[in-house]
Amino acid sequence: MADQKHRILMVSDFFFPNFGGVESHIYYLSQCLLKLGHKVVVMTHAYGNRSGVRYMTGGLKVYYVPWRPFLMQNTLPTVYGTLPIVRTILVREKISLVHGHQAFSTLCHEALMHARTMGYKVVFTDHSLYGFADIGSIHMNKVLQFTLADVSQAICVSHTSKENTVLRSGLPPEKVFMIPNAVDTAMFKPAPERLGNDEIIIVVISRLVYRKGADLLVEVIPEICHLYPNVRFIVGGDGPKRVRLEEMREKHSLQDRVEMLGSVPHAHVRSVLISGHIFLNSSLTEAFCIAILEAASCGLLTVSTRVGGVPEVLPEDMIVLAEPDPSDMVRATGKAISLLPNIDPQQMHNRMKKLYNWHDVAKRTEIVYDRALKCPDQNLLERLSRYLSCGSWAGKIFCFVMIIDFLLWRLLQLWQPTEEIEEVPEFTLPHHQDEEIISNFNKDQSLG
Amino acid sequence: MVNRRYGYLHECKWPLEAIDMHHVVVRKSNAKGFFVYLSALIVVANAASYLLLVKDKSITILLWGFLLSVLLVKVMFWNRVMKESVVVMPTFGVQLETHYASGRIIHRFIPIGKILKPVLLECVSPVTCYWSLSLLLHGEAELTLVLKELRPPVKMLIPIWKALCDASDIKEVSDSWKDAN
Repeated sequence: MADQKHRILMVSDFFFPNFGGVESHIYYLSQCLLKLGHKVVVMTHAYGNRSGVRYMTGGLKVYYVPWRPFLMQNTLPTVYGTLPIVRTILVREKISLVHGHQAFSTLCHEALMHARTMGYKVVFTDHSLYGFADIGSIHMNKVLQFTLADVSQAICVSHTSKENTVLRSGLPPEKVFMIPNAVDTAMFKPAPERLGNDEIIIVVISRLVYRKGADLLVEVIPEICHLYPNVRFIVGGDGPKRVRLEEMREKHSLQDRVEMLGSVPHAHVRSVLISGHIFLNSSLTEAFCIAILEAASCGLLTVSTRVGGVPEVLPEDMIVLAEPDPSDMVRATGKAISLLPNIDPQQMHNRMKKLYNWHDVAKRTEIVYDRALKCPDQNLLERLSRYLSCGSWAGKIFCFVMIIDFLLWRLLQLWQPTEEIEEVPEFTLPHHQDEEIISNFNKDQSLG
Repeated sequence: MVNRRYGYLHECKWPLEAIDMHHVVVRKSNAKGFFVYLSALIVVANAASYLLLVKDKSITILLWGFLLSVLLVKVMFWNRVMKESVVVMPTFGVQLETHYASGRIIHRFIPIGKILKPVLLECVSPVTCYWSLSLLLHGEAELTLVLKELRPPVKMLIPIWKALCDASDIKEVSDSWKDAN
């Protein structure tokens, strides 16, 4: 366990108030690192009117930098445009290490590039799986190769994700750590009273998009309803494929057996989950899948497609896996229905508390930070040699980009010397009602 | 208290030191003056060279060049802020003044009863972060900036903030800010 306390800058385009896996990962990890005594600052882009500095629970400081998103919540990539603000934040917060999240975040890539130019150690966490064949993936992988060519350490959320990242970026596997996500078991608790087994309720909560297997659901739901007359579905979530599900309901007259809830705010997800016995996940690709952790924490038996990192997430007795094929999914659901009488939701929840814990994730991440800070400092020439190996043409372009970044940084140091950037004083937070919520969360996480 | 760009001056007027005056003065920047005059010279030189090269054009081009240069110098210097002052008159109010190079002074008076709280805020722009001192006023949704044009360092804002807190009878002053001063 390290005694050295770090000052970490988390950078990503994806943070609250936007909601998702990456956002909640950054938040929970930051809270646990704050509890361990480290200083954490988050940098993201402005969301609507939410621009400037905000403080969240536990004194988590968030910089909402007023760069407008241009595509799917990503900041407009200007390559060098974010250099001044990144430098200012790094100096004023006395940051020791920069941690970027998500390969699809342009702000993350730019911030990591500038941080490396300025000599900071950087850590990168990849949260998703990407392909190799289509034009978008090819370009994304090249950008990733550029960013990861000079990263100190990398983290992936599953072994499958690690393999995918290593293949896409060419990073040496010994530089990549595997630290899974976790779940807030204090929030996701089973229902106080166990549901009866007369009617079996299957819950689906996901974005209704192609990638999440919404088309599979259109095939699977009518078949299950036909084979098992006592089964009902609750479908939460929205997206372009919702129309197909509505059509399926109409076609097979399943209005009384398939309930469509629409978009479910995250605060209400638990109340939807505890109304069911089985959680159905039909994703076509997943690096990790926090949704099935949340379902298992609420005591639901999970039926999921065997894709990506999903098989690594839950023990075999908590999940029934199927190929992403309608008939195999129907078979798996039938098997899950037969296993239901043996399931004890409270016991499942207790096991999840021991298996997945954000404090454990924070401690493991701390080890990665210590390893990253021990990496030797390198000057520009040594770093450029790493970029040259990225490709015959790409390598030279990357070197050129880094040289220009270095020159711009030097110019910026002349224009605004580091001594002129004022460091932010340390604040002691007043005792607040949030402290009770934090201590309850921590108590629950550490039990077991 | 001085840095490269700003200087801070505190004075108390009247025998009883009842009126508290805080001034933030802009220090002369040779670099800025150099660039402005250089830009003006470039504009005139361009106009002159265009006139010489295209001989059948009238001298109007050169005159327009001169006019543009004069306007450039006027805009950059005439509207330049020389000093911003905060005059704290306890039990009466706060006067905020902005002094321009042209001699123009803009006054804003805020009665003491209207001040809810003076606050030091971190502001984030697309390229930088800076501290600003603002007033929360009763009945107004927007913050009122104490120093409207200038962005001095926070060590110059702290004594002004403390004086405003004392004047509006705000007791909460955190230890970290006391230490920072």
